[in-house]
Amino acid sequence: MKGTGIPRRLDVIQEYRARGGSIAAVFPIHYPRELLRAFDILPVEVWGPPKVNGEMGTAHLQSYVCSIVQNALSFLQSGGLDTTDLLLVPHACDSLQGLGSLLIDFVKPCQPVLTLYIPRRQRDSDVDFLADELRAIYRRLEAITERSPSDLELVTAIRREEAADALLAELHRDRERFPLADEARYRLIRSREYLPAEEFIEITKESRAGFHLCLRHECKQTRQARRDENPALRGIPILLSGIAPEPMSLFAALAEMGAFVAADDLACCGRRLYPAGRSEEPFRRMAERIIYAPPDPTRGSPIQERLDYMLRLIETSGARGVVFYDVKFCEPELFDLPQLRQGLREAGIPSLALEVDLNDQLSQPILNRLAAFLEIIQ
Amino acid sequence: MSLGDKLRYWSGNTLGLAALRVARWQAESFAVSAHTDPVSFREPNGPARTGARWQSDVLSPPLKISPRTKELIGHHYLKGRYANLHQKVAWVTSGAPIEFLKALDFYVLYPENHGAVCGTMRVAEEICTQAENAGYSHDLCSYARTDIGSVLSGKTPVGRLPKPDLLLACTNICQTVLFWYRVLARHFDVPLILIDTPFIYTEVREHDIAFVKRQIEEAIPLAEKIARKPLSASRLEDVARLSREASQLWAEIIGRGRHHPAPISVFDQFIQMAPVVEMRGEPFTVDFYAAMLKEVDERIARGVGAVKNERKRLLWDNLPIWYRLRYLAEYLGRHGIAIVASTYTNAWGELADRIDTQDPIDGMARTYIYPILNRGAGDKLATMKRMIEEYGLDGVILHSDRSCKPYSIGQMDQRDRLMRECGIPALLLEADHNDPRAYSEEQVANRLDAFIEMLGV
Repeated sequence: MKGTGIPRRLDVIQEYRARGGSIAAVFPIHYPRELLRAFDILPVEVWGPPKVNGEMGTAHLQSYVCSIVQNALSFLQSGGLDTTDLLLVPHACDSLQGLGSLLIDFVKPCQPVLTLYIPRRQRDSDVDFLADELRAIYRRLEAITERSPSDLELVTAIRREEAADALLAELHRDRERFPLADEARYRLIRSREYLPAEEFIEITKESRAGFHLCLRHECKQTRQARRDENPALRGIPILLSGIAPEPMSLFAALAEMGAFVAADDLACCGRRLYPAGRSEEPFRRMAERIIYAPPDPTRGSPIQERLDYMLRLIETSGARGVVFYDVKFCEPELFDLPQLRQGLREAGIPSLALEVDLNDQLSQPILNRLAAFLEIIQ
Repeated sequence: MSLGDKLRYWSGNTLGLAALRVARWQAESFAVSAHTDPVSFREPNGPARTGARWQSDVLSPPLKISPRTKELIGHHYLKGRYANLHQKVAWVTSGAPIEFLKALDFYVLYPENHGAVCGTMRVAEEICTQAENAGYSHDLCSYARTDIGSVLSGKTPVGRLPKPDLLLACTNICQTVLFWYRVLARHFDVPLILIDTPFIYTEVREHDIAFVKRQIEEAIPLAEKIARKPLSASRLEDVARLSREASQLWAEIIGRGRHHPAPISVFDQFIQMAPVVEMRGEPFTVDFYAAMLKEVDERIARGVGAVKNERKRLLWDNLPIWYRLRYLAEYLGRHGIAIVASTYTNAWGELADRIDTQDPIDGMARTYIYPILNRGAGDKLATMKRMIEEYGLDGVILHSDRSCKPYSIGQMDQRDRLMRECGIPALLLEADHNDPRAYSEEQVANRLDAFIEMLGV
């Protein structure tokens, strides 16, 4: 990373490789970055990616499988992941489960395929199981890399990721300190999907530094004026929920309509604000971080818990409405939608549900519905 | 229970039971004549119309025990209708470890089976619409939509469903049930017990088993609290033994499909499997399957096949298309094609020997982690290959079920490998197990015709 710009994914991969590290392609949603980094493996996440020629995926997957999984398989088969050394498929839903199974049994890519089962509750048994599951992954990585990171190395990696996650949470919650427009903010947030934690920390701190400098000297009026100019706080605040904000031009479209994302409940962003672990034992600590993350249907969080969490986000961010921006065929999202919307309605919060495909551009009907919704909540 | 409730319960149950018994006797008398007089058979899998005549030149009459199946299912739902008056009710997923609930005298309801009843009676579409009107996407599982639609509207062909005191979801069949039961938990405001079974990509690890066992152990105190009674170890052993016996008998019955001609088709199995799914752990279920096995053996002795002129034998993969069972049986039967084995019905028998009656909880953990839907796509392919060999099959129909992703993902590769490695034709048939809107008769017929040609019939 040079200057304050966010480096490109490919450059990061090449640079990491040049330093002697390995690369893991990681599919959605939850996994411990620190475990991979302890083996000097950089996790690079594959959320689709969008706008991939899906033909290769359709040779293995039916049309009713979501575009995140379709695209991931197509991308892999078209050589998009050739620069990676291993694949990690965390379990999140039936479609990602199927993807892992297909890769192991039929597609058989040249990289080793590791799977990770994420338990669905927050019981002690879930923490214990996930810790065991991470130990099993450790043993696989040991065999693949012929390295055996010590507990101290694991703890160091955990602390580094915890520091990055604390900063990520700040980036999400404290928009005043990060005067970035939504698109720039979310590019920074999503750089966590491929940047090493230490680089993410460096870039994020730099984008905050300017704010601290002016804070030290400004009076109340100046501060208000600065707040008014802050693109992160300008317009109609909304809460964005769903899997991934693709295409990213969604943010520009929102800005054009006079709105901004005041908080999010996105699987790739706000639902992965992992807290610091409690245990001193490294595997349990990694497990706790995932288990006690914000509510997520794929981790079995009760719908009421999700609703309460969203209402808290709305209260603290001042969001005036919720946009559910869901990927077609995504069961975990679609099952919760009616009860969440009903709960929001009862709390006087309007909501809008949009269904998109990763390969689609923002269509005019979707833009029209967004514009109409924003007019209502304005 | 108040006196009024007692009266309601006993009168409703007794009168209903009597009505079911009379209907069975009537049906049995038709069945007897059906087996001696070829023009007066009762329609298999069809609606219960008194006096209906069997009218198939290509399919043999249904098993004589079929009216008893109908009576068992009818009685199960009849008991459910009044269950809230006198016992605790649990709604459970089809692959859930129910033995401890049975041992605590819960009335156990299977929303998936209720969905299948709605599907066969062709009311699922109307009930699904109720859920869709409430905002549930058309892309969600049609069993879930049927269930949620029924909960929201009260519509059901079985009279009335009892309200749950407890929900038990086990992820060994899909993750969908977790998402679905969370909706039910909030709607009914009742506890949801989750038995989370890690997916077996390649092999079961000890920490997987330990995790499942611990969850079952942790679930029991909550179930005891709701049931207001402690779990008796001996009662649990009895229930486990009865579950095992029923499953073993079921495995034997479907295994009789190895005979040429097959005495029972999968279309019969789809209906006859209801008791082993929703009435496991009951003595009458064991008796029922023992009687069925006897009848199937009699058929074998007499050389009676489910399809009269059996020429080709197929495997069915995935759930049935509940609303078109008879149509498909007839369509294929006209060409002398019998579907004699199915990965779906096999799933309720293949694990029978894993049920441990000495250590039921450990046995439950080791059994319930292992159904076909919780195993990798390659394992399912191996199961299909084994069945092709054992049953002497000529082809495979893989129902690509829009509503069941865990069963369907992998089928495209499985089809290709079956054709390449077993040298038999395999057809991918697009449909949905419960929602007829995702089914095109014309398209299905065209594809079946092409497939029949490949079979060389």
